[in-house]
Amino acid sequence: MRNLSIKGIQKQFFTPPDRQIIALDQIDLDVRGGEFISLIGPTGCGKTTLLRIIAGLEIPNSGEILLDGMPVDDLHRISTLVFQQYSLFPWCSVIENVMFPMEMKGIPKDERQNRAEEYIALVGLSGAEKAQPYELSGGMQQRVAIARALAHDPEVLLMDEPFGALDERTRHRLQNALLDIWKKKRKTIIFVTHNIDEAIYLADRIIVMTTEPGRIQEDVLVDLKRPRNRLDASFTELHLKVRNSLERTV
Amino acid sequence: MSLNGRDSSYQSKSENGIPLHRIQGLILPLIFIVLWEILAIWVDNPALIPRLTAVLSVILHPFTELVGTGSLIWNTAVSLFRVMLGFAVAVVVCVPLGIFMGTSKFIHRLVNPLVELFRPLCPIAWIPFAMAVFKTTTVPQLFGIRYTDTILDSVQIGMVFIIFWGGLFPILLNTIHGVSGVRGLWIETAKVLGASKARMFWKVIIPAALPDIMTGLRVGLGISWMVIIAAEMLPGSDSGIGYLIMYSYELAEMQILVACMIVIGLMGFALNRGLQTVSNRVSSWKALER
Ligand SMILES: Nc1ncnc2c1ncn2[C@@H]1O[C@H](COP(=O)(O)OP(=O)(O)O)[C@@H](O)[C@H]1O
Ligand SMILES: [Mg+2]
Repeated sequence: MRNLSIKGIQKQFFTPPDRQIIALDQIDLDVRGGEFISLIGPTGCGKTTLLRIIAGLEIPNSGEILLDGMPVDDLHRISTLVFQQYSLFPWCSVIENVMFPMEMKGIPKDERQNRAEEYIALVGLSGAEKAQPYELSGGMQQRVAIARALAHDPEVLLMDEPFGALDERTRHRLQNALLDIWKKKRKTIIFVTHNIDEAIYLADRIIVMTTEPGRIQEDVLVDLKRPRNRLDASFTELHLKVRNSLERTV
Repeated sequence: MSLNGRDSSYQSKSENGIPLHRIQGLILPLIFIVLWEILAIWVDNPALIPRLTAVLSVILHPFTELVGTGSLIWNTAVSLFRVMLGFAVAVVVCVPLGIFMGTSKFIHRLVNPLVELFRPLCPIAWIPFAMAVFKTTTVPQLFGIRYTDTILDSVQIGMVFIIFWGGLFPILLNTIHGVSGVRGLWIETAKVLGASKARMFWKVIIPAALPDIMTGLRVGLGISWMVIIAAEMLPGSDSGIGYLIMYSYELAEMQILVACMIVIGLMGFALNRGLQTVSNRVSSWKALER
């Protein structure tokens, strides 16, 4: 599994009439293959922008994305992004949504179908294959979106506050499901959240970002065994540490 | 479903158990028919208000030669054929053009002024122009065939041209609207899932725009059906349901005239229903989306 390097990424936006926002300023980040990274930071610090650059949806003003030191020419192929908003195609059923990325690769129909059923089972939605997106709750829609992202079979899975709109119980359940999947499928994951607890529960490392301009403030190692207990002293200690770091950003 | 179920429990039932709401919609039409018959008997002049029995007898014998202009069914078929051909041309031209205009700013800027120039012009205003230019040349004659001894000999280029104008704007504008309304989130989702340009077009743009395109087709077909009737009523026309209605007017054959009106209404209804059924199938997601 290849290591991901984000090198010297700089991104500015121009908004009319002539304001210039430095959304990302000199972002350097090395991610081991298979590592689970959480990105945390105040609103507007450029988390979404950074994911969009890694996903190939946005072109940085300078800097590059490397895999094992080599530049990547087709980012859509090695990575995919689970959006914060519900992004299922409403004209497709659950299984058609999950088959979509495989259809894009030209995988034959039978194989697509079988593999899609596996991914749907992986996110715990077996039996809902024929359902339409509008019949599903928000949590179920995000599960399908994760299954669909996995069906793309990317090396790097980018997730932008995917559980942000969910209630706490659903959120905890999906966190555990995600960790299971990560263990089974061995992906590199970059997971954006504004929830400290979620970041500590999930990640190997937490990157704290600051705003205006968007920079990396601190790189916190989460050296806790999984499954993690939110009530452990070491967990709450880390919670305080990340919170202090975040408070210094504003 | 549960809503409907609750609804019907509020409906009173008539003596023999038929739910009242089933026949509710029939009450006013029945009253209308009865009043019409009373009026017809009272006026007692079939050249003014025909008896509905006479009208019904025309409709129930659709293959009978009428006043030397062909049967009811033949004239209906001619009108329908003209509409189908003109409408098909409108679809083939306007759906792709609308897709280009909806996806490319360049093409939109290029074509839109022309669209805005012609749009306020009622399609019926094109009829005299089309008759003057195309005369009575039929579609087979366009391909150098004098007679085919089929219904095609009654389909004039001018008629097809007018129908085309009738369908053009609803189809074009709704297609543009549908294509340019495809959400950026869907396009970006497809991109990060590895969609190429071509696949993006067929698997995202088209299905997302299809409900609007279908609306355009439905409105366009409705207008086409109205325009063909108007075109056939003008001098120079020799067949079609619009021609039959005008001819029966000249001969004061009111029972044929009213029968034609009923057929025109029913055909318009059926055409709309047909497309509505197809449309519902591809648009259900849009109605139910939260
Ligand atoms: N397309 C854009 N045009 C202009 N400004 C943008 C655009 N996208 C993001 N920004 C700005 O860049 C900054 C970072 O945004 P974003 O990456 O969405 O932050 P976050 O996800 O951390 O809340 C914000 O100030 C935002 O207003
Ligand atoms: Mg964001």
